[in-house]
Amino acid sequence: MEKSHFTLFVGLCLWATLLATEAPVRATLGESDDSIASDEKALSAVRGAAAVRNGYTVHELQSNSTTIREYVSPSGVVFGIAWNGRGHPDLTPLLGSYAGEYNEALRQTPREPGRRPFSVKTDRVVVEKWGHMRNLKGRAYAPALIPPGVSVDEIK
Amino acid sequence: MSITVTGDNALPLTVNGSPCSSTAYLNEPCVSVTVCDPGNPSSCQTINDILLDTGDTGLRVFKQVFNPALLGSLTPITATNGDPIADCVQYADGSANWGPVETASVVLANEPAVTVPIQVIDSTFANGQKVCQNPNTTPAVSMFNGSLGMAFWLQDCGQDCADGTNKIQYFSCNGSNCSSEQVSLTDQVQNPVALLPQDNNGVLLVLPSVPSGGALYASGALVLGIDTQSNNSSSGATVYDADQFGEFTTSLTINNKVYTYSSFIDSGSNGLFFPPSGFPLLNCSSPNYSGWYCPSSTQNLLAAATGASGLPNPPNKIAFQIGNFASLLNSPYWVFANIGGDTGSNSGPFDWGLPFFFGRKVYIGFEGQQSPSLGATGPYWAF
Repeated sequence: MEKSHFTLFVGLCLWATLLATEAPVRATLGESDDSIASDEKALSAVRGAAAVRNGYTVHELQSNSTTIREYVSPSGVVFGIAWNGRGHPDLTPLLGSYAGEYNEALRQTPREPGRRPFSVKTDRVVVEKWGHMRNLKGRAYAPALIPPGVSVDEIK
Repeated sequence: MSITVTGDNALPLTVNGSPCSSTAYLNEPCVSVTVCDPGNPSSCQTINDILLDTGDTGLRVFKQVFNPALLGSLTPITATNGDPIADCVQYADGSANWGPVETASVVLANEPAVTVPIQVIDSTFANGQKVCQNPNTTPAVSMFNGSLGMAFWLQDCGQDCADGTNKIQYFSCNGSNCSSEQVSLTDQVQNPVALLPQDNNGVLLVLPSVPSGGALYASGALVLGIDTQSNNSSSGATVYDADQFGEFTTSLTINNKVYTYSSFIDSGSNGLFFPPSGFPLLNCSSPNYSGWYCPSSTQNLLAAATGASGLPNPPNKIAFQIGNFASLLNSPYWVFANIGGDTGSNSGPFDWGLPFFFGRKVYIGFEGQQSPSLGATGPYWAF
């Protein structure tokens, strides 16, 4: 398939540059769970066992000082991403085709003082950040992709 | 609303009074710090509008705020090859502080000066925008001149950055090119209070109660040390020890159902942030107040707290109120004890922000430091 060849090509390029730079994690919202497998090879990220839950599967990746969990529907699509750790991951690669509208909404969201939980919603994606130093948390999900019967609360 | 605490170890702490700037946001706790040339103790600058943040560690001041001569006298912390070290500190709201780490002499209250690494906040330093997302740019945008982090962690990063496992916080910069760097504990941005010759085992925050309709300001003190002077006795306080993430446990009882969350206390958060917990605390409808709670009438709520070790057992009760954020903001006031809002997930954590401190003495015990009277070793809170 064109798509998996492209993913493998990108993976090889990332592997070649791995020693020079820290490449971002790609567990891309809205894309297939193929993207998770290529992450592990390309980034030497440590991947935990997948946990099968009621109506979805969770894959965990340890990258830099952040643990990232990818929520995959029965049809193999990443519908949500959650993280916790010393930092928030760079969302642009993680959000894939949703990144543009998120970044635009972010630009238009007035800065809130008071170091309180953060939330940006667009028509198609929700991004939230909360927690505190040394245990920062967040999640991003596409409400339309959440499988029936699965609560958004399970993305955590 | 004022409480006065005297002593060489007491800094005035105000919420929205002086030394906050006149453009402070609501529930902003401020102190002043004096920063001096590390080689010349009489060349100093007193800096106001410094956010007192118990959720962070160390002193950070915007580059734009410094007198140029003082800025030039600070000594950069460098890697072994001489490249300057810079720090990327991320916060829960997605903002960050970026800038070089430099040694300064810092004077708090009337304590002796300490020589300590601080952060000069500078979003333009090297290629910071590439390695550090959303760095704070100016005092006007951030609404403070800097921050004094007073968490129980001694350094802002700790062992992870000293042994190199954390690659996303400390960097060495070769011209405009920054890459991850290991930085020893002594070279990291750290708590100046822990370096004092005395009054160095923790701090006490004292703020008065605030009326339910709000107040223009509330003033008290940041007292250095726990059980070291007559003004920082821990008598009457209970210890809540913190786990490796800096959290203890809070449970909330609503309609006879108990919701249990990990929790933390953070003066830098300007409200009480917790999940609605099966009770319709009603998010405010106006988009200007997104995330805050607007119940139709003020709610009296009951929580219970216990430390990471499970003590006290049974947990101690904490009563608190959540008022209608939109109505409260219709007042002329800037300081509120009863404002709260949603947090990102129904699994918590429970953020006891600034309102928790009103009318309550809160002690923060530094990691590894003891208070013999409390029989506790940090990290812990006591209240």
